[in-house]
Amino acid sequence: MKRSSSKPRRAAVVAALVALNASPGLAPALAETVAGPVNYRLDPNHTFATFEVLHFGTSTLRGRIGPISGEVMLDRAARAGDLRLRIPVTSVETGLPVLDARLKQPDLLATAEYPEAYFVATKFQFDAAGGVKEVRGEFTLRGVSEPLSLVARSFACRHDAMLKREVCGGDFDADLKRSRFGATFGEPFVSDDVHLVIQVEGIAP
Amino acid sequence: MTKFSLLAVLAAIGFSAAAHAESATYAIDPSHTFASWEIGHFATSTNRGRFNKTSGTVTLDKAAKTGSLDVTVDTTSLDTGTAAFTKHISSDEMLNVAAFPTAHFVANKFVFNGDKVAEVDGSLTLMGKTNPIVLKAQNFNCYMNPMVKREVCGGDFDATLVRSQYGLTYGLNYGFPDAMHLVIQVEAVKQ
Repeated sequence: MKRSSSKPRRAAVVAALVALNASPGLAPALAETVAGPVNYRLDPNHTFATFEVLHFGTSTLRGRIGPISGEVMLDRAARAGDLRLRIPVTSVETGLPVLDARLKQPDLLATAEYPEAYFVATKFQFDAAGGVKEVRGEFTLRGVSEPLSLVARSFACRHDAMLKREVCGGDFDADLKRSRFGATFGEPFVSDDVHLVIQVEGIAP
Repeated sequence: MTKFSLLAVLAAIGFSAAAHAESATYAIDPSHTFASWEIGHFATSTNRGRFNKTSGTVTLDKAAKTGSLDVTVDTTSLDTGTAAFTKHISSDEMLNVAAFPTAHFVANKFVFNGDKVAEVDGSLTLMGKTNPIVLKAQNFNCYMNPMVKREVCGGDFDATLVRSQYGLTYGLNYGFPDAMHLVIQVEAVKQ
């Protein structure tokens, strides 16, 4: 489901993807661990946060924020990492413009005063295979900072044949209470518990 | 004793007749009804997209534990957060929304767990092809909504869609999965 802007590029993409598929063992890759720290550029097409919050104990409201930008350093050999994310809260988008406008109000995301949220983390946990398992850091929303843990549901690195670069990324989950950040409108009918589902991919230089 | 049993049976019949009359129609609330999909991206992360417009009706008889629904998703309302991605998926290489501007889901088999809907078995028509699909409830609840002052029923449902069954085969030969995960929020207002 790769987008492409032009026919020649699309053909190149297909050729590259065919080549990738022809090399077995590349798909579930963590294989080629690069020694030393690597600074990854976040891929704006594949780096989004989706929030989920229960509405009247019945159904789950979702909204997407992104693309998220920032700097990610991984040193998988040393099992270390450093992450600074800028989260454009003004981009919040639920599919329902009136809800988007409501979410931006001062009693929720307060985007006029706080257009960005931040996540800064240096505590990385790795699994036995060298994949990122958990990232613990500090999340700042509406100017309020609280500890937050991102737990990997999946993580992999691959050699991307189209980009000709290593790409690392995965799906991460996090949970927070919005009242801790002062975003309390609609409680208790809309839950205080917010679940975050994060897609992230970073491209090596 | 026999007379009492007969009375009980008659009461039960009376009750089920009353229960049968509890069948109600609910209109899909488009502001709380969204179908999203998830598909793996090179075994690394998950790509997501959402359809912004869904409409339809649901009938529910909570006493008889039956239901039916007829729901239409506007495929032209696809939204991935990345304009080029949305455009490509909407094109004739994938969803071909110009030729197939709607997806249609009909169901008349509701499976209950106690008084809650646990599963909806129906058929999905996508890109002109119809296949059976099962929606499993992660949440289901009915409540009195203080804004509309009516009962609202809804929940979260998910399903697995095998896209090749609908002719949606783009990228299968270079590693994009055939199975997609559907994540559905739905609320419907009693009429």
